[in-house]
This record gives sequence, structure tokens and C-alpha cells, in this order.
Amino acid sequence: MNSFTDWLPTLMIFLPLAGSLLLLVTPKTFRDEVAGFIAALTLGAGLAIWRGGGSELFRWDWIPPLGITYSVQLGGVSLALALVTALMSFIAILYAARRIPNPGPMLSLILAMETGLIGIFAAQDLMLFYVFFEDALIPALLMLAMYGKNGRMAALVKFAAYTLFGSLLMLVSIIGVRYLGGSPSFAMTDLKQHLVTGSAQTWLYLGFLTAMAVKLPMWPLHAWLPDFHEQNHDSGVPDVMGTLYKVGGYGIFTFAIPLFPDASLELRPILMGLAAFTALYAAWIAFRQTDWKRLLAYAGLSHMGFVALGVFSLNETAVIGAMYLLAFQNLYTGALFLSVGMLQERIGSLDTRVGGVMTQAGALGGLTMALWFASIAVPGLAGFIGEFSILLGAYQVSPWLTFIAGITTIAAAAYALTAFQHTFWQARPAGSVTVRDLVHTEWLILGIPLAILVLFGVYSTPALNLMQPAVRAVLSALGGN
Amino acid sequence: MLQVPEASLTPLLPILLVLAGAISSTLLGFWLSRRTLTFINIGAVVASAVSLGWLWNRDLSSFGGSLRADHAALLLGFVILAGTLMTLLVTLDTAWRARVSFPEFDAMLMYAVTGCLLIAFSGDLIVMLIGLEIMSLSSYVLATLQGSRRAEESGLKYFLLGAAGSAVLIYGLAFVYGATGSLNYAAIAEKTGTLNPDNVGILVGGALLMLCGFGFKVALAPFHQWTPDVYGGAPTSVSLFLSTVVKVAAFAGMLRVFSGALENAPGWHSVLAVLIAATLIVGNLAALRQTNFKRMLAYSAVAHTGFLGMALLGTPAAGGAALGYYLLVYTLMTAAALAIVAALQRSEEGFSITDMRGLYYRHPGYAVALAVCLASLAGLPPFAGFFGKYLVFQAAFQNGYAWISVLAALTSVAALVYYLRPAMLMFMPDRTPAREYGLGQRAPTTLAVALGVAGVTVLGLLPNLWYAFVAHPDIWGMLAGR
Repeated sequence: MNSFTDWLPTLMIFLPLAGSLLLLVTPKTFRDEVAGFIAALTLGAGLAIWRGGGSELFRWDWIPPLGITYSVQLGGVSLALALVTALMSFIAILYAARRIPNPGPMLSLILAMETGLIGIFAAQDLMLFYVFFEDALIPALLMLAMYGKNGRMAALVKFAAYTLFGSLLMLVSIIGVRYLGGSPSFAMTDLKQHLVTGSAQTWLYLGFLTAMAVKLPMWPLHAWLPDFHEQNHDSGVPDVMGTLYKVGGYGIFTFAIPLFPDASLELRPILMGLAAFTALYAAWIAFRQTDWKRLLAYAGLSHMGFVALGVFSLNETAVIGAMYLLAFQNLYTGALFLSVGMLQERIGSLDTRVGGVMTQAGALGGLTMALWFASIAVPGLAGFIGEFSILLGAYQVSPWLTFIAGITTIAAAAYALTAFQHTFWQARPAGSVTVRDLVHTEWLILGIPLAILVLFGVYSTPALNLMQPAVRAVLSALGGN
Repeated sequence: MLQVPEASLTPLLPILLVLAGAISSTLLGFWLSRRTLTFINIGAVVASAVSLGWLWNRDLSSFGGSLRADHAALLLGFVILAGTLMTLLVTLDTAWRARVSFPEFDAMLMYAVTGCLLIAFSGDLIVMLIGLEIMSLSSYVLATLQGSRRAEESGLKYFLLGAAGSAVLIYGLAFVYGATGSLNYAAIAEKTGTLNPDNVGILVGGALLMLCGFGFKVALAPFHQWTPDVYGGAPTSVSLFLSTVVKVAAFAGMLRVFSGALENAPGWHSVLAVLIAATLIVGNLAALRQTNFKRMLAYSAVAHTGFLGMALLGTPAAGGAALGYYLLVYTLMTAAALAIVAALQRSEEGFSITDMRGLYYRHPGYAVALAVCLASLAGLPPFAGFFGKYLVFQAAFQNGYAWISVLAALTSVAALVYYLRPAMLMFMPDRTPAREYGLGQRAPTTLAVALGVAGVTVLGLLPNLWYAFVAHPDIWGMLAGR
């Protein structure tokens, strides 16, 4: 065992935070370069872990009297999500540096949030998970406070209150899981040996679920999401980070299924029903939106309904699909938020009814359309593999609920293409400003995610190979289903 | 035959050092400026803190066990002295603006600290009562000392309600004595197990009366009514002192009496649970509606009484450790937040929350520090307030009060909202003229704020630095003594 590779996850977690603090003392002229360099280095660390086939579990007793450990591991699903997080943070930094005047604080906040997010994926200790989970909240709030629009205070309070409402109930559950199970520490390896049984497990699962349902998000705890996205900065950079922060599906997969196996099976029909309803309901509402950001928010919510359907079904194919979709929807939803930012920069509006952009900015329109195709699960792009696997797996568990969710894919095409047509086709209104096409790094910002989506849409083996063993290991806790 | 009391002064040393500071302020005030006296007092407080370290691990006692310098006393004493040090630093800058910059202010403050330490070091009910009275009487004067109608109103309210609280407490004390025939904590703890049934009723009555009395001192609902008026009306540096040091001392008393002497007495646990539930609800919901930041912090102090009180519901081993950790963190974050209010306010009324808009762009250092304190008060990791909250949730949960933990989690959401609003307002760009005092940023206050923020951050990242001291279960198993 190489000692350096053991430290790689820790490096990957805290490098962005160090960079965020470094930016505070960096002269203005070099800020963009330093931030970009740190983000690229983080991504490099992630790729190094991938090349080594995932990291070993690293454990250090953080607070011995309380049994709280610093246990981190990046491998399988967590590594895939951490890589996507590092990539999208890098792209967010590229765009923030280009778009936002005097972007110092924003770059700092992106990096600080990246630490929290990668920490969430790497944590193998419930308390550590909780700490990172809340850590990521503070930069998200500050981005909204410093760069948001007029209604931001209400959006901010709503976002924070929902998040904390869930996570504090989760905290009580975490305390209960350890205390009632009698585990010596909060590390997952110990907790799995000391499961809570009986009805207490169901109650604790519900506490845990509240936090994850807020962060999925899932109906009826989703109300913070559209406001959060609408009130954030026009560039869409905070929205990229906000999309990455939707870690509910991952939390249920990594922590809830192994710790609450009986309760997961018991509540499966209800939760799958809620998930399917979320997917359809969000798609329906998205159809009525005229603000691009709200539309994207509801589109994201609809995808999260799919992710939840896959995870809650506890079927291997569906869970792999859910994790695949969770990872890759970050790419297209994030890139779409940025493309909306570019559109707003050019026409000064987020309205979907501007018309005729395609005639003057072909590349922007073309790349946006390709990203939308990824979003509505056109075969050949990564979104399709995720959604198809979820439907395939969930069908074996509950055909009718899967049918309801399946309708969503049609609805998605309807809302996405309608809005796209209104903005990019139709006639450009007479006398409106000329729309500039993509320039410089903007090509990369939309191009890189798209290239990866195509790559993993056609050649999905590397990502599936990464995820499959991890999913099998988790589902084995259910005793073969 | 008259017995000569065993009067070893060594365990008294920390108290005597603080008392020496108080007396020096009283006497030397005729010749020296207040500023010089404050520096002398800071020296006395630091010396007293050093002597705590010197007494560590020696487990001394004096006056036949009436005064005990055990681990619990030393740890709580340290928290009290930390709060005092921050108060003194802040008064160096702001006392003259509050028109309380005269030697008597320092003298009263140090007498109050003497009383606070005496409570933490107490080994029987009478010593605890004497400490409590010294502390209370001095605080009444402190609250009134500024010659303004607001301060007089605040002081009088504090005095009348505090005196009623003391009376109830003494009545309860008499009941406990009547039931057990002893004032010594250890003797009471021993006898509560083997009472004859007639006396159990008296003991329960006494315990509940004492709970009411302490409820006044720590501001448990429904005995919290004075708190917002007193904290809001007194000069901010005094509010800082009252909401940190005095509250810590009152909790030290509760810890000694309820987790020590009356640990096995029946009845008070469930009543305390109800009072805490009421405090959590009333404190958090009322704070939500405040428009003045200082008054909001006063309600937040009430709400925190609820969170801190949850520790008393735990077993002494878990609860004492939780309380020991949380009290220090609470002192650091509350003192730093109020220090910033004291520095930046235009008048002693504090400032309204809307005036805080854009503070980050005018006083970046103080704004970030205040945001850290508020995040910690709200219980967001990685700041230390989170671990405090987690510890008290756990203490209550493990002793069968899961419903209180859930209630506390829910009311924490309200807490987050009222802490978050000012914290986020500070970062919102603002083009209107500044509404705070522009010259407030001075070295001593900055030092106090830096102490608080550094403490909150370091204890959040490495809680074990302090928790390792307070975590030892033996400490809290012997609160009553042997």
C-alpha cells in the first residue's frame, strides 16, 4: 500500500479549500489563473485516484471520546461523483472568471463549496458526512447573498430552512443509529456491524430520509429549488454548484440502504410512488415555465424523481442507472445553466420567448440543443443510459409506477423542445440587438461536458465498471433481493 | 467544644486573586485611572486562570468539603474567566461611550466574578447561595450603573425579579435541608436514596422550588421575562457579561445541585424537560420576530438556555461533559458577537437588523467574524457551536428524552432563520450611507473578537482540544463530592 495514494482523497477534499483561502491573498491580476489551476489540480488528483482503481479506506480518529472518525474513501460511485464535481467546478470557474466582473469572492466560494461536496462523497463516517453536508451550505448561501437578485433573502431563508429542517432531523437519527445500535463509532464499517432493528429502524430511516428528500429534492420537500435557482446570479455559475449539491440520491444509496435495509424494503412502494410522482409533476410544471432558470430547475427536479425511483427500487440495474444519471445529469444540467447564462449575457433576459437566436448564434444554439438532447435522454448520450436502466430495473419491481415515470420522458421532450423552439427558432423580433456567437473559452465550457456526455453515451463501460461493484456491495446488505 | 475549621486557602486561590482585583479597584480607584485598573484586573483574571492550571489534578477541598477545587470547578472556573477576560477587553473600548467608565464599574464586575467562581467551587448549598447572592447583587448594580432611564428600568426589573427568584431558591433550599438534614451536596446525595416516604414529598417540593429559582437566573421559560428587557436595556458590555459569565455561573450551580446533590431525587427531571421545551419554543420563536439585533441576541440567549439545559437531562457523565463543552463555546461565540455590537453600535440600544446590510463592505473583518459567530450560534459545522448542539442532543437522547431532541432540532430551524438573516444581510451590497459607528474597530475589542472567533473555529475543527478535558466521566460522576 502506497502511503501517498492513501492521502489522495484527503488532498482532493482539502485542496480546493486551501485554494479558496489562498485566493483571499492573491493579487487581483492572478486570481483567475490561481483558481483555475487549483481546480484543475483537484481534478487531476481525482483522475489519479481513478487510475489507481479507487482509494483504500483512510481512517483517523478525529474525536476519540465521541467515536467520530475521519474516514474517507473514494471508489466506485463516490469516485465517479467526485470526478464529476471536480470537473464541473473547474468549468464553473472558467465561466465565472470570464463572465463575472471582479470574480474574486465567487471563485473563492466555488472552491470552498467544492471541498464540501467532494467531502460528502468521500465521507465514510456519518458525522463526517453530516459536517461536510452542512459545510457546503455556507458557500452556497453566500453566493446567493453576494450575487443574487432582489428576491434573494426570501429564497435564501427558504433554502436554508428546508435544508436545516431535514438535516437536523437527520442529526437526531444519526445519534440514534449509533446509540440504539451500540456501535463503538460513527464509521460506516462499525455501524454496519451494529444495525438497529425493528420499528426503531423505520423511525430513524424517516429522519434520515427527510434530509435526503430535501436535498434530492423530492415532492413535497422541493419548494426551495425553483426560487434558489431563479434568484441566483444570471451567469448560472451558482446554479452549477447548486446542482452538484443535490446529493440526496447518493446519501440514500451509500448510507440509508446499508443502515436501514428492512425499512428500505418496507417503505419501498410509498417512496417509489413519491419519486414517480415527483418526476411527472415536475415535468408538468416545467412545461408552464417561461423563465429559463425555473424551467431548468423543474427539469432537474424531474430528473431527480428518476434518480429517486431508481434508488428506492433497490433493484441492481435501476440503482446503477440512478447513480449513472445522478453523475451525468450534473454535466448537462450544469452546462445548460451556463448556456442560459450565456444567452442572458447576449440578450439581457432569461425569458424563453425571445425568438430567433439560432439565426445569429448558431454554435450557441447547436450546443444548447445537443445538451437538451442529453437531458431528454436521446440515445447515444449519457442521459439515456441512466434513464433507460432505471426504467428497466424499476419495471421489474413496480410496473405501474414505472409507467407513470416513463410518461415523463415524453413530457420532457415536450417542455424542452417547446421552450427551445421559442427561444432559438421562430423569428427574431425586429430591431433587437444582434446576438454574438460563442467566443474563446465559451466553446470549451459547453463543449467539454457535451464531449464527455457523448463519450459515455456511446462507450459506457468505464463508468459502469466503476459503479457496478459498489452498487452490488451496497445491495448485498439487503440479503439478495 | 468549638472546632477549629479546616481552613486551607490553597483551593481558594483563583477566587482570592479575582477578589484582590475587585478590592484593588475599590481602593485604588481614588488614585488611578479606570484604564489602569482594568489592566490590573485583566492581570488578576489571567493569574487566576493560571492558578486553575496549577490546581489541576490535585482535587483539593477546604472548610470540610464546603469548598471544592475539583475538576468540574476548575473547568467551569476557566469558562467563567474566559468570559470575564473578553468582557474586560471590550469595556476598555466601549465603557466610556456607554458612560460607565469609572472604577466602581470594574469593582462591581470583579465582585460578580468572585461570586460566580464561588458557585462553581461550591461544595454545599450555603456556599452556593452566598456566591449566587454576591453575583446577583453585583449584577443588579452593573445593569443600573449607566445613568439612563433605560438602564435604570433594566436594573430595577432585574433586581425585583431576581430577588423574587432568590427568595424562591432559598425557600427550596430550606425544604431540601428539611428533608435530608444536610446542606452538603455529598450528604444530600447520599440521603436522597434512603429517605423515608414522608420526606420524599418535601424533597421534591424543595427540588422544584430550587428549579424555579435557578430558572430565574438562567432564564428558563416561563421565568425568562426579564431577560430581553435587561439584556436589551443594559449597556452592551454589561449584556455581554450577563449573558455569558453570569449564565455560565448559574448553570454551574444547577450542575452542582441537580446533577450532583439531587441526581437521585425524583420528580425534577420531567418538570425540567417541560420547562426546556417551553424555553426552546418561546425563545426561538420570539427571536424570529425581533428587529433590533441586540434584542434578538437577548432572545437567542434565552433560546440557548434551552439548548444548554438539555445537557442537564442527560446522565451526569454525558450531560456534564456536553455542558462543559457547550458553555465554553457559548461564551466565546456570544461574547464575540456582542463585542462587535458594542463596538459598532451608535447608541447603547444596539442597531436594527436592517442597518447591517452591506457591513462586509465597510468592516470586512468584523463582518466575517460576526458571520462566523452567528453560524456557530446557529449550529452550522465546521464551527464549534455544532458540536455543542450535537453533544446536548445526544445527552438528552441517550437518557430517554428523544422527543426533546426532536423538538430542539425543529426549533433550531427557526434559530437558523433568525441568525442567518443578519449574517447574510451583511454580505449584500449596499449603497446607502453607513449607519454604524465608524471608529469602533479598536485593538482590545479586536483582540476579544479574535479570541472568540479563533476559539470557535479551532474548537470546531479539533473539538478534542477542550472536550478531552471535560469528557472524563469521573469528573461529572463526583459533582456532589465524596
